[in-house]
Amino acid sequence: MTKSPTVRAGRLIDANLHLLDRQVLDPENMPVATVDDVELDDVLWNTPLPPGTPAPVVTALLSGPVLATRIFGGRPPESRWHRIAWTHVVEIGTAIRIGINANELDVSWVERWLRDHVIRRIPGGSHDPE
Amino acid sequence: MILSEVIGLRVLDAHGAAVGRVVDARFRLEGGGTPSTARLVGLIISPRSASSFLGYERRSSGGPALVARLLRWMHRGSFLVSWESIAGFYDDRVELRAGYERLDASLDSTEG
Repeated sequence: MTKSPTVRAGRLIDANLHLLDRQVLDPENMPVATVDDVELDDVLWNTPLPPGTPAPVVTALLSGPVLATRIFGGRPPESRWHRIAWTHVVEIGTAIRIGINANELDVSWVERWLRDHVIRRIPGGSHDPE
Repeated sequence: MILSEVIGLRVLDAHGAAVGRVVDARFRLEGGGTPSTARLVGLIISPRSASSFLGYERRSSGGPALVARLLRWMHRGSFLVSWESIAGFYDDRVELRAGYERLDASLDSTEG
C-alpha cells in the first residue's frame, strides 16, 4: 500500500484540530472508535525538564468512556482506556484510517462479545439478511 | 503522558507571571515509517481563553465568517512555544524558560 500524503514526514498536526474526536476507520471502512485522547512518551512531571530533553512522540490514540468525565470533569482511570498504537495509523484526514482490522483490536471487544453471545443466538442472527 | 493532562493548564513564564493557558499541542511528522513518527513541536497557548480553537485562527480559510471572526477575536494573541522553551510540567501549570519566543501559531504556511 502506498503511503498516504497525510502521514508523510513534514506535515504539522495539531491534536485538537486533526486528531481528537475524529472517527477511526479500519481497512473495510468499519468504524472502530473515536479518538478521545492521545498518549505520548512519558516526560518528567513536577520536575524541571533538563535542557536538551528530546521531545515526546505520540505512542497511541486512546478511546474510552469520556462522556461522564467531559460533563463532570476529571479523566477515566488508566485501565479504562483502549489504545490504538500510532503505528497502525495509515491516513489522517476527516477520519483516521488504521491498517488493521477492527476485530484485532481490544477497543471493539464489546461489539464482538455482543455479536458472539447475543446476536448469534437470535434466530437468523448468524447470517447476512436475505 | 496523556495529552488531556496538559491541555487547559495555566502557563507561567520564568518569573512566575501568567501568560495564558494551553489550548492545543502541535506535532510534526518525521521519519520514513508508515505513519511517520509524530513528535511534539510545542504547545499552543492562548492568553485569553482555554476553550478549543476549532482551528479558525490557524487557517486563513473558514466559515461561517461570523463564527470565524468571533473565535479569532477570542484567541487574539495566541502563540506557539517550542518544546525547547518549556521548563517543566506540573500538576497545575506549565513553566516556560527565560527568554522563550512567541512563535506564529498559524498552520497555513507549513501544512501539507
